[in-house]
Amino acid sequence: MTADPPRPGPAPAPAPAAATAGPASATATAGSTPTAATTGPTPTAASGGPGAPGRANRRRRRWHRLAVPLGLAALLITATLVAHAVDQPDPTEPGFLSPVATDADGGSRLAADLRARGVAVRRETDTARALLATSGGAATLFVPAPGLLHPETVGALRDLPGRTRLVLVDPPRRVLEGADLPLVPAGRRWAARAVGPDADGRPCPLPEAARAGVAAVERQRYAVAPDRSTGRVERCYAGGLARVPQTETVVVGASDPFRNDRIDERGNRELAAGLLGRTGQVVWLDLDGPAPPPRPGDGSSDEPAWSPHPEPGDGDAAGDGRSGDAGAGDSAGSGSRGGTGRADRPSPPNPLWAAFPAWFWALLAQLTLAALLLALWRARRLGPPVAEPLPVVVRSAETVLGRARLYQRARARGPAAGTLRAAALTRLLPRLHLPADPPPTTVAAAVAARAGGTTAQAHTLLYGDAPATDRELLDLARALDRLTRTVAATPDPRPADAGPPAPAPADTGPAPAVAPRPRPAPSKEDPR
Amino acid sequence: MTWRAAALLAAGAVTLPLWPAPFAGVALMTVAVLGLTALDWALAAPLAAISAARDGDRRVRLGGTATVTLRLANASARTLRAQVHDDWVPSAGARPDLPPGRLVRVEPGDTVALPTRLTPLRRGDRPAAALTVRSYGPLGLAFRQRAGRPGTPPWTLRVLPRFDSRRHLPEKLSRLRVLAGTQVARGRGEGTEFDALREYVAGDDVRSIDWRASARRADVLVRTWRPERDRRLVCVLDTGRTSAARIGDEPRLDTYLDAALLLTALAARAGDRVDLIAADTVLRAAVTGAGRPALLARLVDAVAPLQPALVETDFGLIAGEVLRRERQRGLVVIFTALEAGALGEGLLPVLPRLAARHRVVVAAAHDPVLAALTRDPPTRPADAYAAAAAFRALAERDRVRAALARHGVTVVDAPAAHLAPAVADTYLRLKALGRL
Repeated sequence: MTADPPRPGPAPAPAPAAATAGPASATATAGSTPTAATTGPTPTAASGGPGAPGRANRRRRRWHRLAVPLGLAALLITATLVAHAVDQPDPTEPGFLSPVATDADGGSRLAADLRARGVAVRRETDTARALLATSGGAATLFVPAPGLLHPETVGALRDLPGRTRLVLVDPPRRVLEGADLPLVPAGRRWAARAVGPDADGRPCPLPEAARAGVAAVERQRYAVAPDRSTGRVERCYAGGLARVPQTETVVVGASDPFRNDRIDERGNRELAAGLLGRTGQVVWLDLDGPAPPPRPGDGSSDEPAWSPHPEPGDGDAAGDGRSGDAGAGDSAGSGSRGGTGRADRPSPPNPLWAAFPAWFWALLAQLTLAALLLALWRARRLGPPVAEPLPVVVRSAETVLGRARLYQRARARGPAAGTLRAAALTRLLPRLHLPADPPPTTVAAAVAARAGGTTAQAHTLLYGDAPATDRELLDLARALDRLTRTVAATPDPRPADAGPPAPAPADTGPAPAVAPRPRPAPSKEDPR
Repeated sequence: MTWRAAALLAAGAVTLPLWPAPFAGVALMTVAVLGLTALDWALAAPLAAISAARDGDRRVRLGGTATVTLRLANASARTLRAQVHDDWVPSAGARPDLPPGRLVRVEPGDTVALPTRLTPLRRGDRPAAALTVRSYGPLGLAFRQRAGRPGTPPWTLRVLPRFDSRRHLPEKLSRLRVLAGTQVARGRGEGTEFDALREYVAGDDVRSIDWRASARRADVLVRTWRPERDRRLVCVLDTGRTSAARIGDEPRLDTYLDAALLLTALAARAGDRVDLIAADTVLRAAVTGAGRPALLARLVDAVAPLQPALVETDFGLIAGEVLRRERQRGLVVIFTALEAGALGEGLLPVLPRLAARHRVVVAAAHDPVLAALTRDPPTRPADAYAAAAAFRALAERDRVRAALARHGVTVVDAPAAHLAPAVADTYLRLKALGRL
């Protein structure tokens, strides 16, 4: 058995071929949808129901807010997975692509179709006999479930007679390697897709595929093995079908074209019949479960030379010595699909046990217990952690500093320079005894007269262009700072007629904090 | 169980090589240690019989150290050997006199005092959080400990503001005494409130002769004036979001408190009646200055637990509260931040109502960092940007000042360290001008 969940209800029942997996999946989803519908309203009814306190109610509702969507999603995913598992056939099931099985997974319709075309279908349930049967002449060996082949018989597939065609359905990697095919699995789809033979743009040289046209082949894709790129490989259906002409082996990535339930769709029937019916005889290997290991001793002397035991010793003795109870299990019932021999073997005692004396392990155990006690002691806190509301740590100048950083990041040199110039003017005008909004030429002249330099320089400084670089902005800021300091420090040339008391330079010295910003002194007075 | 049980087990493990059956030895020793531990646990003093109580200081000024003593009484019949952990909130700065790891031993029926010294880091109420007693057995292998047993005796230490501006008080009081005329001879101009009539003596200002009164009497009488007394002063503390921002090392609210306390001390000495209101969206504290002697103490106690709330201040509520409480005309000092958003949308709409009835002063503390940004010569491009941002902030503040001044409001805008003396000076000036 594989890891797939066990198939529920309808599949094992011998349903008619028409009652296919499609409706089965529909019932599965339909069966799960009411579950969602019933679980949906239940929590809402519970939350809206009894007069629980608002807080508990709110907490429960908050819990619901997380649980309901997640639960719905989980339900949807589960339903999808179950539906998929039901829909996709299990190659390890007995009756999968069997020429005598008439249910959805069976291959009875294909067998009947082949017979109708005059192809002899020979069903074999034993690997060795199937191999023997192919040795007669031109035949096609059809292996619907290569995964069930015993690892030791896979090697025999490469030694088939030259005119035998081998058709493998969805072979796993180990079979590809065992059969020495230059192919590797390259990506697997969620479900089979019907594509044209030359879907990936490459022409398909296989005449059967060209006849069949679109078929549901692309599920497992195959690519040429990177280290074996020498052999010629024909790939069709976007890699879903590959033929190795050297050994006349055809690998099909999906079981859909052969299955009873899908054989009628698109060109499935034509493709399956074409692949199998070319040689006029089909040896159909119908395995019920994992094939038993080959027994080289039994059988007639004309056995093909595919002995899987290359050891020089006697095959019988080697077989007994290697797998004692595996052989016993096989003789008890070859049809039992239990575990293979290897899993049943008891593991030998760990040699590490014997490497140290018993007291060492006891010491280790006791020290572990002591460490556990230590952990228990440390786990109990002496009092709970104490919580306390913390004061705000934001500085009150934080907005100003943040704005400065924004200016810098935005390279807002123009606005920054404008602000600096406006502030400098605000500070200069009262000291120069100028009105509130004087013409620039007047200001420039007054500044030049008071602080030195030319009128043009002062004009450029106070009313010039916006700086283009940070360096220029810094120079401008420095020049404005120097100017205001100079004007503040230079004695007023006409102190007598000054209406508002111009601050004397001596005043600005000891109190630099307020010096550059002459607040209008009367503002503290009563304006009325 | 304790580390001793683990150590016992680990020590026993060393003897294991000598045991004939080591794993049996492990089982035996484990059972023995666990049995001893259980016995020890059973012999530990029961926690239900332990009771705790506290006494000590209730108030301490910020920066000072208070002592609160925890008394553990052992009413059980067994000796209590316990580790006692008396948790306070972290900002209470609690240091127990007994080192935390030391075992406390209390004989049956006895009581032990465990003093804790608290040096709080912040103003406000600092509560005791949780008391944990871990009662060990006589072997020290196991202990009993349970949350809430004995129950934590509640205790709250109120940390009062530091009142750093006390040092300005003597100077302001001496200026007040000059105003009141107790140091300098009384004369006209030293007050606006009519005090009394007295006979003219040579040297009095002839302008203060009350001719009508002189005509009624046969003497020349002069009027004397004195500074106003019994005026109303309301300190309004804005505890909203703008008061939470830090200036230097403390929130802006602490600066307000400092200035309000200095103003209160000064006004109480000047004979004015001081009320205090602290509010943001709700009224946080209200003190009415009825009993003058204990006013300052009551005020300090009322404002100590105030904490800034991160909400927008409702100045409508404040104005309503002031108008409801103060019928007479008085001086309303609003401690807030000069912030265009907060004041423009909050205070300015209600200001006309307030200014019509009272004289309003807005006292705001600003960050000296701002002034430093505009003052220092820039050395890096970042400094130039910072200076531009600072100038812009100052310009915004000036706009707010101008808007407030249009309503006849006096604005005191000072660096945080100088707010208290600046507000006191404003008060003294208004008092001297008789504008209260």
